[in-house]
Amino acid sequence: MNAIVEMKSMNKFYGTHHVLKDIDLAVTRGEVMVILGASGSGKSTLIRCVNGLEMYQHGRLVVDGFEMPVEADRRLGGERELAQIRKGVGMVFQQFGLFPHKTVLDNITIAPMRVRKKSREEAEATAMKLLDRVGLRAHANKYPGQLSGGQQQRVAIARSLAMEPHLMLFDEPTSALDPEMVGEVLDVMRELASSGMTMMVVTHEMGFAREVADRVVYIDQGSILEIGKPDEFFDNPKNDRARSFLARVLKH
Amino acid sequence: MIATSIKWTRHNLFGKPLDVVLSLLVIPGVLWLAYTITDWAFASAKWDIVVQSLRVLMIGVFPADQAWRAWTASAIIGAILGAGLGCVFCFKPHHGLVLLLVPVLLLIVDGGLENALPATGIIASTILGWALTSYVPLTRKVLPAAAFTGFIVIVAVMAPPGVGLWGGLLLSVLLTLVTSVLSLPIGILLAFGRQSRLSSLRIICTWYIEVMRSVPLILVVYWIWILMPVLEPQWGLADVARGMIGFTIFYSAYVAEYVRSGLQAVPRAQTEAARSLGMSEFDINRSIVLPQALRVVVAPLVGNVLDIFNSAPLVFIIGLTDFLRAGQMILANPQYGDRTFEVLSFLLVTYFVIGSMITYAARKLEDHMATGTR
Repeated sequence: MNAIVEMKSMNKFYGTHHVLKDIDLAVTRGEVMVILGASGSGKSTLIRCVNGLEMYQHGRLVVDGFEMPVEADRRLGGERELAQIRKGVGMVFQQFGLFPHKTVLDNITIAPMRVRKKSREEAEATAMKLLDRVGLRAHANKYPGQLSGGQQQRVAIARSLAMEPHLMLFDEPTSALDPEMVGEVLDVMRELASSGMTMMVVTHEMGFAREVADRVVYIDQGSILEIGKPDEFFDNPKNDRARSFLARVLKH
Repeated sequence: MIATSIKWTRHNLFGKPLDVVLSLLVIPGVLWLAYTITDWAFASAKWDIVVQSLRVLMIGVFPADQAWRAWTASAIIGAILGAGLGCVFCFKPHHGLVLLLVPVLLLIVDGGLENALPATGIIASTILGWALTSYVPLTRKVLPAAAFTGFIVIVAVMAPPGVGLWGGLLLSVLLTLVTSVLSLPIGILLAFGRQSRLSSLRIICTWYIEVMRSVPLILVVYWIWILMPVLEPQWGLADVARGMIGFTIFYSAYVAEYVRSGLQAVPRAQTEAARSLGMSEFDINRSIVLPQALRVVVAPLVGNVLDIFNSAPLVFIIGLTDFLRAGQMILANPQYGDRTFEVLSFLLVTYFVIGSMITYAARKLEDHMATGTR
């Protein structure tokens, strides 16, 4: 078993609202897993649990060999251990989350310098390579506010990659973008997937899911209803609710 | 030209019946007031009292033969303030010319070098500091260290005749500077403390802030003044130091509230993004949250400095002679009993000029911080 993420009957509540119900899921190294579901189904919450931005109450979650504590234990501290696991798990957000007061280059180098204790020269060299990879080398000294949404999201991806993560989480990375910019971000993600990166992607881009995903997970009302190969899922969904979801999103 | 101004006047001042009435009442009133003030200021006011008492107004009861110490300190303060200004607002030669008008004016009115010479020194060092950080950006990096050293020198130079003799405008400015600089880090720590997950720390900080904001400044200053010798008699702290401590303790609470409003303005997504990169909570607060929070609250923080400066006269309660008190002291001399308006006008104008310079610098600072961020 070579799972990087393992969830065993994981449960999460917001107060009395049961957000995630008995989630059993394993992500193997090198796999690209796309998580689909209507909004409010709990798919973002699911991947936010993986790097500890959300806490869960029951069950078990192991990320990269690290046992993520349940909420009751998180209250006792353990921020340092969390930071340890987050070093190896990158995350890309819907709203980019770039630091507006820092240049693109500083956005990328701050974590490697502070967390991995790299020298400025080393961090900047890596950053420039990553900017090359996402096609933004010329923008290194601009501020995020001077870039388009698609460019900002590519910087955000480069920033995560600078920490040399073993796993990348994408939380609706293209949902806040103008339609003409979606492609450039998906291209970067496609390239990243082909390079062998383990990825968990929450998205509404069905074309991307079908093309890039190794497995597709369908979540509805906090439960996993279907897991399978993209072709099987898109052509022949077994679950009724998955079928009607696909009918709704594939219509246009 | 004349046609447009007539048009403007008719449109803006005599457009509607109510405008006509207001204009007919206000315009003659303003003209009469302006005439009266000008007539008094240039015809009947005897400004010689201000020139003669300038030393007392500026440095209080500091001994006259030791005045060079106070002038040196003033020059250092001028250099520090000028250098600070230069970081956000580039020096231009015509600024220097305007500033140099002050000693020239003094020379003309006074007819001697007694006041003009120190004024020239202070203005010159201000211009020097301003120009230095404007044209040599590298010097901005060493400014905090230089300012700290400058402050040590000020204390060392001013101390020998007796710390109790500090006074006048110099005391007001020193008090404002020390309080502003010390209350910023303390206020930032209090603001973070108030948001801490440790409930004991949170409760202590909240109480501190709420208590300080619910009591008058003058009471805090007085309390600290009588408490310090009781708590720490062996320190033998001077009145000035106790006053500065009282001001700092009081204004830290206000700074904390401003900073807290800034902290709350930083989107949660920023913290989450930084956390997802594995940054420690300390690094996140220091490098991501605090810089963005401070940008938001520059204006209220500078307003706070202005507030401190305008509250400085309250140190009279612990027997100190600040700028306003120095003015009153001069008027207490029966010989000058008929010069009340001259001295008070000078105080008013000086406070106004310094206050508006602070707000002007604040606007420049805001512009400076806004560039490059969005």
